[in-house]
Amino acid sequence: MVNTTQPTADLSPAPTVKKIQDERLREVSFVTKIMRRPELGALAGLILVAIFFASTADPSMFTLAGIMNILSPAAQLGILAIAAALLMIGGEFDLSIGSMVAFTGLIFGAFITLSGWALLPAIAATLVIAAVLGGLNGQLVIRTRLPSFIVTLAFLFILRGLSLVGLKWATGGSTQMRGIGDQAGEGLIRELFSGNALEGAFAWLAANDLIGKFPNGTPTVTGVPVSIVWFAGFALLATWILLRTRAGNWIFAAGGDPNAARNSGVPVDRVKTALFMLTAAAAAVVAILTVLDAGSTDARRGFQKEFEAIIAAVIGGCLLTGGYGSAIGAFFGAIIFGMVSIGLTYTRFDSDWFQVFLGAMLLLAVLFNNFIRRKVTGER
Amino acid sequence: MDQDVPLIEIRNLVKHFGSVIALSGVSLNVNRGEVMCLLGDNGAGKSTLIKTLAGVHKPTSGDFLVEGKPVSFASPRDALDAGIATVYQDLAMIPLMSVTRNFFMGREPVKGIWPFRRVDFDYCDEVTREEMHRIGIDVRDPHQAVGTLSGGERQCVAIARAVYFGAKVLILDEPTSALGVAQTSMVLKYIHQVRQKGLGVIFITHNVRHAYAVGDRFTVLNRGKTLGTYAKSEIQIDELQNLMAGGKELQAVSAELGGMV
Amino acid sequence: MKSIVTGLAAAAALTLASVAPVAAQQNSRIIVVSHGQANDPFWSVVKNGVSAAGQDMKVQVDYRAPETFDMVAMGQLIDAAVNQKPAGLIVSIPDASALGPSIQKAVAAGIPVISMNSGSDVSKKLGALLHVGQDEVVAGRIAGAKLKEMGGKVGLCVNQEVGNVSLDLRCKGFTEGFGGKVTVLPVSNDPADIRAKVKAAVASDASVDTILALGAGTAGEPSVAAVKEAGKTGAIRVATFDMSAGFLKSVAAGEAVFAIDQQQYLQGYLPVVFLANYAKFGLMPGGDVASGPNLITKEKAAQVVDLSAKGIR
Repeated sequence: MVNTTQPTADLSPAPTVKKIQDERLREVSFVTKIMRRPELGALAGLILVAIFFASTADPSMFTLAGIMNILSPAAQLGILAIAAALLMIGGEFDLSIGSMVAFTGLIFGAFITLSGWALLPAIAATLVIAAVLGGLNGQLVIRTRLPSFIVTLAFLFILRGLSLVGLKWATGGSTQMRGIGDQAGEGLIRELFSGNALEGAFAWLAANDLIGKFPNGTPTVTGVPVSIVWFAGFALLATWILLRTRAGNWIFAAGGDPNAARNSGVPVDRVKTALFMLTAAAAAVVAILTVLDAGSTDARRGFQKEFEAIIAAVIGGCLLTGGYGSAIGAFFGAIIFGMVSIGLTYTRFDSDWFQVFLGAMLLLAVLFNNFIRRKVTGER
Repeated sequence: MDQDVPLIEIRNLVKHFGSVIALSGVSLNVNRGEVMCLLGDNGAGKSTLIKTLAGVHKPTSGDFLVEGKPVSFASPRDALDAGIATVYQDLAMIPLMSVTRNFFMGREPVKGIWPFRRVDFDYCDEVTREEMHRIGIDVRDPHQAVGTLSGGERQCVAIARAVYFGAKVLILDEPTSALGVAQTSMVLKYIHQVRQKGLGVIFITHNVRHAYAVGDRFTVLNRGKTLGTYAKSEIQIDELQNLMAGGKELQAVSAELGGMV
Repeated sequence: MKSIVTGLAAAAALTLASVAPVAAQQNSRIIVVSHGQANDPFWSVVKNGVSAAGQDMKVQVDYRAPETFDMVAMGQLIDAAVNQKPAGLIVSIPDASALGPSIQKAVAAGIPVISMNSGSDVSKKLGALLHVGQDEVVAGRIAGAKLKEMGGKVGLCVNQEVGNVSLDLRCKGFTEGFGGKVTVLPVSNDPADIRAKVKAAVASDASVDTILALGAGTAGEPSVAAVKEAGKTGAIRVATFDMSAGFLKSVAAGEAVFAIDQQQYLQGYLPVVFLANYAKFGLMPGGDVASGPNLITKEKAAQVVDLSAKGIR
């Protein structure tokens, strides 16, 4: 409903007012406009990291196959990171998403192998259950007014434990559930959630020698892994929601200052609950994607992913205190993560040094980001 | 509309919280085009009164009339719909968000059809620019974060927002208390503009000088009770101050310190 | 700000300088992708075997593993290795369906693959040339039989890496060889946590007379300590898979009965040797190589303690 009530007296006639504005407003330079975007830091970080690897890593890292190799882990982490970023902007944390991946993987696997359901109902039911659990998280946080850190930390353990217990029950004692891929069947839904997209295009490219081939003729890269398509799609959707819709404004407001937001009529509780449901659903999507690709699930899926997702979001420009950030930033942050963790294996550095490198790069990326953001939002 | 009926009138308003008596008889009224200053020291019950007028609390007893008709607000939304806009001390402004986003928070205009409904930011930017110009905030871009505005500028934007969205009565809670001299005069100037538009303003403060600069009438609140309403012509600044502080003690301290406190 | 930037630039330059000469070489390069983290005492022995073989055979070797037990990440590491077109690839296979596609891609790309440590049952099917490792069920049975011989009737199997099929198989083999009642006790890989849990288990069930741990440093030593704290050394026989200096000392002192030497050094050493010879001369053994089990009892303990401290056994 557009409220166009005008004040009861008017001051200057409209056309003159507009003209005066244009003259008196300082020309905001293009560079400043770019610098203001929260994702600038993440993009710059990505370029820095890419340069580092371009000079130290095996050149095969930047071939088509190498890039897909980097984007795969980036995509799985990225879907979680984007959801975590939205929640962080809204002022909360969800530490249970890693365990949620394992738990929803278990539920999905059980629907397929134990209940014998078809793919579509299994996926739908898994998403619904995830959303309900997410909503539960959200309501607990809101009603108890405990920090979301604590509430979701509790769920981190509960869900991880339930995954273990559930797997053993479902498989009769093992902590791994196999054969899910075989029982899931083929078809359009399967194509949407596993395997590669654009396979036809890649086959054609290989046939015409535009991309590399194996000795037996199949292209080295058979297509774009579906998880990458989901990742990119989700990034676009999240960005549109954040920057162009009412809900996006509400998310920023709920995170920036929930009291001020409530006083302005923003439904803060609804927004936060919805965001918790989103992170849970994102975890479920990642679980479905990885379970269908791997054909199996185990009790350790998603382990520590909640922290990686938060780090990716922070690299992407999200403030831990909420109210500021970007989904595209989390997109780049996840790619940085993927690039660093896989990229180090393309170098000759001894693997003992990996964790040191990972931490150092993340720290650099975050510091750089911080510096840019302070300059731009006038923070002291 | 009857010009003589006050926009807001409260008579003997009482508010209890369990065994605590926060308000024990508050009476005041505000007319169109007038600034009514509500003076009270800390602990006098100002914040409870504001919240009652804004619809956060329901009065335990007493009359609350808006434009002559008795009202009972179930939530702040009801008060807003009745035309009572409150600008709290924290301004309900979020420093990290842009001026435009803050201006239209909770009332974003949307265009397009579901599921592609998006906020009409072009319209919002236009309006925000105009409003900022009217306030006289020079050389500012509506996409700037509110955090980059000075305290006085933020206060004016908050007031402008309330006015734009159709407030008939503005309740300003200590708008100048944290501001320096130049910024205070900017805010007071804007309140004057708002009065000229025909709105009623309840200006709550414990600073008598600021109140005297812009007020038409003054009501003193002490320990949950109003001690009377005076027009500017009826009372001097130091008399007001004494009334506010409870009289004798302040005079004694003033004498000790050798000047006006 | 300037000083920080110059500092960073200097650091970057130093890093690049130290790494640049390496990028030039492209000899026989063998990549190992395993699920064992660098900080795990068991796997650092495997890594030592890999490095030693690399030196002895004069080939470049790289050891890669995910930060945690993450099958999805491990698959991606294998893909990364394949992209670098090494002369040979060595993998452990704790989850055949998750890792299968990546391993098959390696085979399709013409890279010779040898599996080690886990996945002996699926190794050939996925296209590996052979498997070097210890058959977990067989080893479990042998251990179980020995413990039964020693008089055991009620046992605990302490599993610290639940989710790893190999460890589950060890407990399974143990149950089969032992014959008596066996309960599986799941724990994390934090020694303090294991000690507490074992002590609690022993206190709550007084009939337990045998404890089999699946990892010496992680679970074996804390189990010995827990039994000591409960005052039941001697009454409860403690044995473990794999070895550590501490556990071997306990064996030498009579506080534990034996450790199973999987000889994981060979699991790192032998595949590198095989692949290096394959790359040079086309030579490859005709079947799987069993690296263990070797039951280290009190008699053999002393010699092995020395080597365990050096990260060789």
